[in-house]
Amino acid sequence: MYVSTLSEDVYPSDREQPTFKAYLTVIVRDANGNIVKVHKQWSHSPTSNFMALLMPGNWYINTQQSQSIVTTSNSSYALNPTTGSTGNQIFYPNTHAIYPTYLLMIQVGRGSQSNPFNAYNLAAPIANGSGTGQLIYGTPSVSSSPIVSGSSVYFYISQTFNNLSGGTITITELGIVLSLSIWEASNNTNYIGLNVLTWYDTLSSPISVPNGGSVTIYYTFAVNP
Amino acid sequence: MVTPDVANEKDIPLDIILSDRDIPGEPPFRAYIEAKVYDREGHIIQYHRQPMKSLTEYFLALLTIPLIGTYQNGSTNQPPPIFTNITGIPTQLSSSLAVEIYWIASIQVGSGTQSFSPTLNGLAAPILNGTGAGELQYGTVSVTYTATTIFFSITVTNSSGSTINVTEIGLFGKIAWVNYSSTYTFLLSYDTFSPAISIPNGALATFQITITFSG
Repeated sequence: MYVSTLSEDVYPSDREQPTFKAYLTVIVRDANGNIVKVHKQWSHSPTSNFMALLMPGNWYINTQQSQSIVTTSNSSYALNPTTGSTGNQIFYPNTHAIYPTYLLMIQVGRGSQSNPFNAYNLAAPIANGSGTGQLIYGTPSVSSSPIVSGSSVYFYISQTFNNLSGGTITITELGIVLSLSIWEASNNTNYIGLNVLTWYDTLSSPISVPNGGSVTIYYTFAVNP
Repeated sequence: MVTPDVANEKDIPLDIILSDRDIPGEPPFRAYIEAKVYDREGHIIQYHRQPMKSLTEYFLALLTIPLIGTYQNGSTNQPPPIFTNITGIPTQLSSSLAVEIYWIASIQVGSGTQSFSPTLNGLAAPILNGTGAGELQYGTVSVTYTATTIFFSITVTNSSGSTINVTEIGLFGKIAWVNYSSTYTFLLSYDTFSPAISIPNGALATFQITITFSG
């Protein structure tokens, strides 16, 4: 083989910015509603579930393989959309039936794990409640329209957690959990309400939520920021 | 970044809350475009690699599927508004059977250029599939992956009789369903080449788009 023209990698300085960003904003309030801490960091970590759900049908068609969807309780389900009656896939709203896949929650925890790609659950999830060590989970919210600023477009997911546990709660990890419904052709069954972790982060520093206070977490996903 | 003792939440409007300004370190996401041109003997005669810059809002809409799902919640038979507000896809598909969603990737190259907009939905001057003047024969899109990286690639052959210069490239996504026949195609990314990727008559070129999420 010869190379008559082989240019170097071209990285013009004005094109160094990544075209996609994901980042976290964590806002802690005290019992009086005053903000006592704002924490921001890059969000790093899609899980294998995210990649399986994002993969285009080309891959499934060309390889005739499946990807595993692993629930938070470590049960596996095969995903292989586009193969017709033998496919295993998620649903879109239709007039026939509701088999929903939806955002269940941003889940928070007090543990950490070093291989987020393989994470299927938080290391030490903080339960929903007002007991010792628990946080009251609010309902997650998603911006309804894209937020546009020049060429940049983003949307966010947010959720507030209240601490009525009687003590300070420290958060060190968090993730995005879907409630997933999937059609499994091999056994002719719809599985509904599978909790699936699709995104996972450890915080670069722990976040302490005082008793009586709250914490609001924003996940922002942006293109061309 | 940790900022302690902020006095009042009204001091922080939403656009500041959602700003990435002052976040230390590098964001983990990377995307690249590679082009390799081979002469009729299979020798590489041009190689070019550049960062991808221009993802559209339709890419963002595609990401909502693994991030927030395809329904608003467990009881509402509607998709998240962010998805339909970007794509314009109907909020409920009429079908006597359950409807399952998937998408198909494709790559198209062109001979024009245009200013980028996040709502851009096509190339300025697409090069058609064929062997006529100014046309390229498109192969099948290949999709491979390793952990958090997805590779999209296509090979095009120039049998047009003369050199063809490629100056733009787009990654497209066709959203489709099982048990529902309509499809919707969107431009997911748009980038230009300068200088052009020059494909002589009888040569072929491989274009690869690499999208990496950090693990």
